[in-house]
Amino acid sequence: MAVVPGGPRSGPAARAQFFCTAGRGLEPFLIREVRERLAATQVEYISGKVFFTACSDLNMLKQLKSAERLFLLIKKQLPFPVSSVSKGKIFNELQRLINDDPESWLNAISIWKNLLELDAKKEKLSHKNANPLKRKVGEDDTAAKKLKTEQIQEIQETKECQLEKQIEEKLLEQGNFITEEGKFQELQNDVMEAADTRNQTDLTFRVSCRCSGAIAKTLTAQEVGRVIGIALMKQFGWKANLRNPNLEIFIHLSDIYSVLGIPVFRVPLACRAYIKTAGMRSTIAWAMASLAEIKAGAVVLDPMCGLGTILLEAAKEWPDVYYVGADVSDSQLSGAYDNLRAAGLKDKIELLRVSVIELPLPSESVDIIISDIPFGKKFKLGKDIKRTLQEMERVLRVGGTIVLLLSEDHHRHLKGGEASSGPLNSQGGRTEEPGGEECLTPAGKAAVSEPASSSFVAGNQECLDRMPPLGSLVPVDCYRVSLGKTDALISKYKKSSSPGR
Amino acid sequence: MRLLTHNLLSSHVRGVGPRGFPPRLQATEVRINPVEFNPGFIVRMIPKVEWAALLEAAGNLHLIEVPKEPIQGYEHNEEFLRKMHHVLLEVEVLEGTLQCPESGRVFPLSRGIPNMQLRDEETET
Repeated sequence: MAVVPGGPRSGPAARAQFFCTAGRGLEPFLIREVRERLAATQVEYISGKVFFTACSDLNMLKQLKSAERLFLLIKKQLPFPVSSVSKGKIFNELQRLINDDPESWLNAISIWKNLLELDAKKEKLSHKNANPLKRKVGEDDTAAKKLKTEQIQEIQETKECQLEKQIEEKLLEQGNFITEEGKFQELQNDVMEAADTRNQTDLTFRVSCRCSGAIAKTLTAQEVGRVIGIALMKQFGWKANLRNPNLEIFIHLSDIYSVLGIPVFRVPLACRAYIKTAGMRSTIAWAMASLAEIKAGAVVLDPMCGLGTILLEAAKEWPDVYYVGADVSDSQLSGAYDNLRAAGLKDKIELLRVSVIELPLPSESVDIIISDIPFGKKFKLGKDIKRTLQEMERVLRVGGTIVLLLSEDHHRHLKGGEASSGPLNSQGGRTEEPGGEECLTPAGKAAVSEPASSSFVAGNQECLDRMPPLGSLVPVDCYRVSLGKTDALISKYKKSSSPGR
Repeated sequence: MRLLTHNLLSSHVRGVGPRGFPPRLQATEVRINPVEFNPGFIVRMIPKVEWAALLEAAGNLHLIEVPKEPIQGYEHNEEFLRKMHHVLLEVEVLEGTLQCPESGRVFPLSRGIPNMQLRDEETET
């Protein structure tokens, strides 16, 4: 992965505890990221969440590519015993989360404010450098202005990512124009009305709650939210504001942990500012690219690129590389072209209109292939997927890497196709593959013991065992990831030298 | 389509095999785009370049100052690298055609994207 020259920085911000939500199956990727990008310590994970400690500022935290959302940790503790306990008792336990330990809350909020102010200072600095004649803006005011920007973004939260981004951009534009005294005064007044962050008792907040497992049978999310909300108002004097709060509190009660946090960004990390129209999930696209061993000077092909999500994620991370995307659909390529242009990556990525089963490329001319094999009935299983893989195998150079996203059906079909004729290896079956050990390592590195981890590891080994070799393509690694309603398998192959083909 | 891409392409019409390389390039609309010079990237691309194909394509586009071959010590020769950078990355064919040298089949190139899809009867096997 591309690491800032000089290695990961321990940033200027104070040490703080964070956690990220992640799509199931992406946890090992995220663990690796927080360690390599942020020099994170005390890294721990459960299914769907990665906890860590780091001294990073907002810019560094924004770099995380395999996370859904990022939160400052307020509290994490073992779940409430729920089975034989009355509702009232549970409510008491919930209140104690606040009343027994208000310091944790205030501490988290102060860190949150510091992160925002640090970011606002940097913005001010860059504005100052751009125009030294601009009116000097006070520090508190800048932080307040940033908060105001964030509040306005909050209103749009339920809408599409694209809409949010447009508004965010517009506001930043408007923000840059505030040099005249009159305009500035106006904005300042607005901010004073909305929230005075210097005085904590005027903070407005909202509680977002999720319950899963045993506790979900006893309590609803709304009930929990209400109890916590009232306790917060009593303890700290904050006012609830459901539509437009300064501060959002996130609670997840499950069988493994009770977790409370403050979202660091309004917009999820998984929603990329540089992607105009996402095709597949950006987190998974990035994860696939991170497995492909992309090195400077490589030729990387996505022969079914659709809107180009994989190429965009890869080109952002590994820029000194030649990317080629191909698709049969004119409308998809058109969308891909718009995406490239919007992301400023037109110079790095080329597009072709061509079918994956007949690639106009000489044999062994490509170093790396990364592709999301289409799911669904349109893509005929059996014949099409075999031809697709054969053609990919042909254009890939020996020693090259292929990373594919396959549905369960594709996987099954590849395994089941052993009886058919053709260049694909029909004697394959199960291979004892040294690479199988590799896929255990990410989970193994997960540090602190977790009840979920053993089944997690077993799942990966199982899916790797089920990958047959395909001609000269040798399976190396496999990760099961969640796409929401279904699962998919990120499958990595390497092309070995193929005698007698 | 940039010339670096053209240099990778090969016609895949049935029976043509390696004689499908390189496709003959004709352009009706060409645009020159300034692209940030990245010497490290160009150095790595030079060994992959098929020179005859590049020179033929550059000739068809009437480009001047195109190096004929990699010169000794090209890795450190900024003038050479800049020329290659220009030829490979800054010349974009927006409208034109690519022709299979063996079968004569013409593929259209429109809005910068070549369409090399084959009809059923033209595909290999």
